[in-house]
Amino acid sequence: MDWQIVWESVPLIWKGASTTVSLFAWALLIGTVGALALALMRLASFKPFVWFAVFFGWLFRGIPLLILLFYAFFALPEAGWVLSPFWAAVLAFSLWTAAYQAEVIRSGISAVEPGQWEASEALGMSRLHYMRRIIIPQGIRIMVPPYTSNAMTLLKQTSLATLVTVPEMTLLTQRIFSNNFKFIEPIFALAMIYLAMTTLLLIGQALAERAFRLRV
Amino acid sequence: MELDWSVVLRSWDLLWAGTRITLLLFGLSLVLATVLGLALALMRLSRFWLLRWFSIGYVWLFRGIPVLVTLFFAFFVLGRRFGLTPVQAGILGLGFDAAAYKAEIIRAGIMSVDPGQYEASEALAMTRRHYMFRIIIPQSIRVIVPTYMSNTILVLKATSVAVAIGIVELTGITRQLSNSTTQPIELFTAAALVYLALTTVLVVLQGVLERQFALKT
Amino acid sequence: MDALVNVTGLRKSFGSNEVLRGVDFAVGRGEVVAIIGPSGSGKTTMLRCVNLLERPTGGRVEVDGHVLCEQLDDGKMQFADKREIRETREHVGMVFQRFNLFPHMTVLANIIEAPVAVKGVNKDHAKARAHELLEVIGLGHKADAYPLQLSGGQRQRVAIARALAMEPAVMLFDEVTSSVDPELAGEILLVMKRLAQEGMTMLVVTHEMSFAADVADRVLFIDHGLVVEQGPAAEVLSNPQNERTRAFLRAVLDRAPMTTDEEAGEDGGALEEHLAHGLLHQEPGESGKGAEAEDE
Repeated sequence: MDWQIVWESVPLIWKGASTTVSLFAWALLIGTVGALALALMRLASFKPFVWFAVFFGWLFRGIPLLILLFYAFFALPEAGWVLSPFWAAVLAFSLWTAAYQAEVIRSGISAVEPGQWEASEALGMSRLHYMRRIIIPQGIRIMVPPYTSNAMTLLKQTSLATLVTVPEMTLLTQRIFSNNFKFIEPIFALAMIYLAMTTLLLIGQALAERAFRLRV
Repeated sequence: MELDWSVVLRSWDLLWAGTRITLLLFGLSLVLATVLGLALALMRLSRFWLLRWFSIGYVWLFRGIPVLVTLFFAFFVLGRRFGLTPVQAGILGLGFDAAAYKAEIIRAGIMSVDPGQYEASEALAMTRRHYMFRIIIPQSIRVIVPTYMSNTILVLKATSVAVAIGIVELTGITRQLSNSTTQPIELFTAAALVYLALTTVLVVLQGVLERQFALKT
Repeated sequence: MDALVNVTGLRKSFGSNEVLRGVDFAVGRGEVVAIIGPSGSGKTTMLRCVNLLERPTGGRVEVDGHVLCEQLDDGKMQFADKREIRETREHVGMVFQRFNLFPHMTVLANIIEAPVAVKGVNKDHAKARAHELLEVIGLGHKADAYPLQLSGGQRQRVAIARALAMEPAVMLFDEVTSSVDPELAGEILLVMKRLAQEGMTMLVVTHEMSFAADVADRVLFIDHGLVVEQGPAAEVLSNPQNERTRAFLRAVLDRAPMTTDEEAGEDGGALEEHLAHGLLHQEPGESGKGAEAEDE
């Protein structure tokens, strides 16, 4: 392996990093908002909301993210909605994130001990009050690991945007090796950059878990 | 927007051919991932620090990089070095990636077995080899099944990424067809339905296995 | 006295926490020794050092002629090799506070697993012996049940049978009634009493003072990692010499005592009838209670 090439590849690949992070951030933001909405719908008394939330989850977790991506990129324009590759990708990633994180939120809330709900009701608290002050704070603690795990997966899945011509890191890497036919060095460099990013997220997760832990 | 669903019927044999490749990739990479994952899990629990650290490193690496990058590595690096076909490279790439997740799932399952089971086995003078296979691992399977199956569903969906290394599985054939017929909506919807059917089968299977392995109370 | 278990200078620390600080005791063949003491006194750790589930940090442990560990002149601990430890354990039966039955196997399978796999006993012989044991402990009808389908008292009786199936020379009991509902503890204690009557060598860590008074030959009172007092059961329990022993017994005996003669759980008097058939293999020529042609 020629380390010189690895060294030279890094800045070229890094130019795509801002796109990668941008895709990630937008999708995580919109997806999380969507997930909150879905989670609320899931717990609603109005049945059609519940059905919609369940259906949404089943659909967007049951098909590969790449199909979603291709749908947004190839199929939507046929229906009259043309998005740039970047925003088509953000749309697909957001829907996917919303479906997965909604499940995280739902199981996080239901994992809070039933006794907590009962005690709150017995104390005469209103539902709004105890959701906000008792249930959700405890739920958040439970949600941190799976939420960041999904976020990490999202970061890695941004690499798929290369297949719809978004100039993020993986696409730029492909340009390098289709130019000089050196494969192992650019791939290695790309892998290391992703590894650094995901490791940062892992550290972030550990810190978040620390911040939300119960004091003994 | 005019939709003509007959294109799906006309392309059915091509879509089916793609689905068969998807299932092939899925099945073989799953086997590779499970065997390798079991080995990695046992290595992680080994007395020898070298094995432990290799396992830790492997899991950190392959969970830290996208499956697409692993596939590129399998195709452009291993494939060219060892003369692999795209499908072979695809199986290796998908298998290596999934193995990291299977390893953690299996390890968590083994570690969840009550320590008292180890003590009773040792007090009854059983050898470690004997009780690992007769007492510990059978009980760990019960815990492993749910997460193993949800990860397996992810492996199925990950086969779609193989399109990036030129494998004409379901997603790949659908993309080709939609380009040539310019009817992406119908075709991608069909592909989505196939994937949904496959994942639903796996979800049902998961339920069956969970009940099968539940402790009798 | 023919000492089956001989422990001298036993020490055990967990990190900086010294739980056992130099304990000496011996158990003779056929003796029943009860170990009593407050929580945290080290009595469970002491028991677990006998079959080396805990590795002592000091002292010498000898079981059935095997030296499992000893302290060399320079202070370092030397342990017997894995094989010897494992072989010794074939002759030491242990019953745990939390039963530790194998939940994925039937009661019968639990009992025959070790004899077949470890001692190479023929499977049919092992099954026959297992059925015998189950009959005697009053659970003959539960051979194909699973542990989680049984009550606590039933599970512990199965655990005793599982240990007995290995035909041990000495049995270790680690607070075996503590995890069981009080009304079910009696059936366990009845089995243990019968075992003692048949001459099994037993080392019993327990809170059940009336059991100790009734069944034990000797009692050891341990506190803060040291043996404070030991002697014949009747003496230590009714006329303790040491003030700390007196204080402990006062605190413990304030609770209503339970005797093994009381109605024991759901099986009650029927259990006593079953037990009369005998738990251990009879020597030829001994009372032929329930001794149909027995295979070895």
